[in-house]
Amino acid sequence: MSVIEYDVIVIGAGAAGLTAAAWLAQQGVSVALVTAGEPTACLSTGCIDVCSRDDQPLSGIAGLPDEHPFHLVPEAMLRQSIEDFRQMMADMDMPYEGTLEKNRRILSAIGAFKTTCLVPATMQASPQSDNERIHLITFTGLKDFYPGYLLSRFSNASFSAYDAGVSTTMGIAAHFEDSAFRETFLLWLERQNIREDKIAFPAVLGLESASFLLKQIESRLERPVFEIPTLPPSMPGRRLFNGMKDHLRRRGGVIYWNWPVVGVEKSDRQIEAVSTGAQGRPNSLNARAFILATGSFVGGGLWAKRDRIVEKVFDLPVFAPENRDDWFDQDYFSVSHGIGQAGIVVDDAFCPQGSPWNNVFVCGSILAHSEALKNGCGHGFAIATGRAAARSCLERLR
Amino acid sequence: MIKTDVIIIGGGATGCGIARDLALRGIPHCLIEKGDFAAGATGACHGLLHSGGRYAVSDPIAAKECYDENLILRRIGEKCVERTGGLFVRLPGDSKLFRERFLRSCDDIGIPTEILSSTKALELVPNLNPDIEEAIRVPDCSIDPFRLCLLNMKTSQMKGGLIFIRHRVTEIVQSHGRCIGVKATDAATGEVKEIHGNILVNASGAWADLVARLAGCEVPLTLSKGSLVITNHRLTDMVINRLRPSSDGDIIVPNEAVCLAGTTSLSVEDPDALSTQSAEVDAIIGEAGRMIPHFHKARIIRAFSGVRPLLKSQKMDSREISRGFQIIDHQNGMYSIVGGKLTTFRLMAEKMVDTIMNAFNLKHDCETADQPLDGQEELSGYPLSRRLADMKNILCECELVSRGRVENIIRETGTRHVGDISHRTRLGMGPCQGGFCTFRALGVMHDMEILTAQQSVQSLREFLQRRFRGIRYALWGDQLREEQLVEYIYLGILAMEKTRERH
Repeated sequence: MSVIEYDVIVIGAGAAGLTAAAWLAQQGVSVALVTAGEPTACLSTGCIDVCSRDDQPLSGIAGLPDEHPFHLVPEAMLRQSIEDFRQMMADMDMPYEGTLEKNRRILSAIGAFKTTCLVPATMQASPQSDNERIHLITFTGLKDFYPGYLLSRFSNASFSAYDAGVSTTMGIAAHFEDSAFRETFLLWLERQNIREDKIAFPAVLGLESASFLLKQIESRLERPVFEIPTLPPSMPGRRLFNGMKDHLRRRGGVIYWNWPVVGVEKSDRQIEAVSTGAQGRPNSLNARAFILATGSFVGGGLWAKRDRIVEKVFDLPVFAPENRDDWFDQDYFSVSHGIGQAGIVVDDAFCPQGSPWNNVFVCGSILAHSEALKNGCGHGFAIATGRAAARSCLERLR
Repeated sequence: MIKTDVIIIGGGATGCGIARDLALRGIPHCLIEKGDFAAGATGACHGLLHSGGRYAVSDPIAAKECYDENLILRRIGEKCVERTGGLFVRLPGDSKLFRERFLRSCDDIGIPTEILSSTKALELVPNLNPDIEEAIRVPDCSIDPFRLCLLNMKTSQMKGGLIFIRHRVTEIVQSHGRCIGVKATDAATGEVKEIHGNILVNASGAWADLVARLAGCEVPLTLSKGSLVITNHRLTDMVINRLRPSSDGDIIVPNEAVCLAGTTSLSVEDPDALSTQSAEVDAIIGEAGRMIPHFHKARIIRAFSGVRPLLKSQKMDSREISRGFQIIDHQNGMYSIVGGKLTTFRLMAEKMVDTIMNAFNLKHDCETADQPLDGQEELSGYPLSRRLADMKNILCECELVSRGRVENIIRETGTRHVGDISHRTRLGMGPCQGGFCTFRALGVMHDMEILTAQQSVQSLREFLQRRFRGIRYALWGDQLREEQLVEYIYLGILAMEKTRERH
């Protein structure tokens, strides 16, 4: 068994874990991030939802119930973490637009408006109302984007379909990285004789060079262009994840990819190490502190047994509605299913309550009472709590 | 106004069987169904073609009928019956006395049995509980009830039968004390059709009393709710029964890529207000898990309930009520046919149509037992080899259904309902339960101009609510994980909850 030592191990590669690890790395702490695989962030719209329940994220947060973990993050720290995020993504050539003062809307692939806070540059021109005149570009046979749903809101929108020869978002996005394909496409696009004010695309404008591509199309067609996020796999989500991951590596953080945690070594009061099953041999990762950012159910941080909910890595105490019948409402669209409350309850230092370990910190969507869907607390919440948990962790180390 | 000879109300197995029988005897007819085919008890059962073993001890007459029909259906429905065979397994503690009675009864009725040691049974079904004492092999089979209804209706359609699905009978037209027709409302358009006929057949199963009341008649029924769960794997290749008097969760049936286990038996009042209880789901898993322990770990992709329309009886426990059937002559031109089982649907139809032929004073013997079901090649024809050949543009990754296949069905049937595609292809029946592919299928329907933009969104909303009712009681483990992902897609990414304000 190989044994590797760090100051801090972060478990989970979503927005919370990546933020925590990058900040610690910047403070000169030796940090490693272990992940079982690609995070749920890759499936997301790539937008940064801070708190979408109100027009203004900050007043939305102020109105959250007392037990909501967002209240554990001071406003100054929230502001700093969002500012750092914007700076980081700009450095990675994936600029984000938006401000904590006011939420904005993006058009969804079903023709609804989703409320969010920061958006990637490729969604900056997304319409804010259904009065705008848009032209939709679709791709023949693309299975995760249908103009019909958008016509339900923009009944006057026109559209043209391009045959890219593949039926998946990922396949088309990969084509867009090829300059010859791009040029053929642009020539076709110019021939479409578009008269509407804006041009909408499903989010397929490249894997990495989306903002460059967007500018290219905008300058050739002389009008704003925006992307509409699709069903997973989602290109904007993947770009976000790749940007944050590369940033962490630049800061000197180490990422152990496909290293699921399978065991824990502990003493009376402390977690000493986690062991991971990867590459056919056990590896022990020792650290002075651990940050748990494994997400909720999709991410794999929480697991529902038939009669209770458990936390998968440290078996921390989990808050959840006691009775399985209370996990879900009858109405699918209610967004306040009881299960949204499930997670880890922490103290002001982001340490889990009711657990004997004093060197474990928890952040992101695994936190109890976050009710991500109901409150629209998405990546923004993950970034803020990731930063706050990392800060507490650093104080503990010193 | 539409005129025909026989009006059938109800598109379950019984109604569809009657339509086929009438078609083969050359009688003009019309079938009206308020939902889709097999929407009631037919579609909410195990899909078990009984050998009769289950009823051998408690109801030998029903058992004999089952066995005879089992032989007939295996013959006429070669392509839609899977000859799995079945086992009755005896667990430690199960009565040996019951075993003796079971073997004797099967022998009396003529149901072939073979006693297998536990070793031999485990060779046949490796997932069986290794502690079983022994197993008795019987000729149980598995059958797809949706497909069965569609195949029966195929014959009706070929012979000019009229079919109105998604039409609700709202009135029975009477003249001089006789039923002469019905008024039926199209659920999609609200249009009312008046259809006249000489004889009305009420084959509406659990709704039979409600329909009969439209003509001032009564059909005394006991409604018994049965719940089932579906696993995402085929844990057994044979039907597994528990060798004991009928009880909860004692039958497991393999069907295509999945297994169904159930049932329960609870009296209910209203066939339209069914809900599955978590306790039922747990009870079924507990009992099924005693026969196949892997059930405790298996992913349950759906839990649902159906209603057995049983003839009213003084017996307290509905399991004791005969599974036989009865034809009620209301003496006003309307007949109700109630009770029975999926396995005996053809026999029920035969007796019903015999009665009709008598009333018409016509002679034409029943042919349904001799003619193979029409359209089997086509409907059973989406084998894995073709699914794999179609791999290029797959809309439903769980069940490998291609866009081309979906487009063909829409073109052939003109359907506006995603359920019709599911019944023909299994689209949406895999682990994600339509979470991804229904968005796509409805998008394709709009592309093909079958649905307007608003209708696509509305249909998707309705689908998501329906889907949730089916999965809500079986959400834990991987299935809950998958559900959170689907919820995240529709509510987090698509902001679907906000479409409500527009409708």
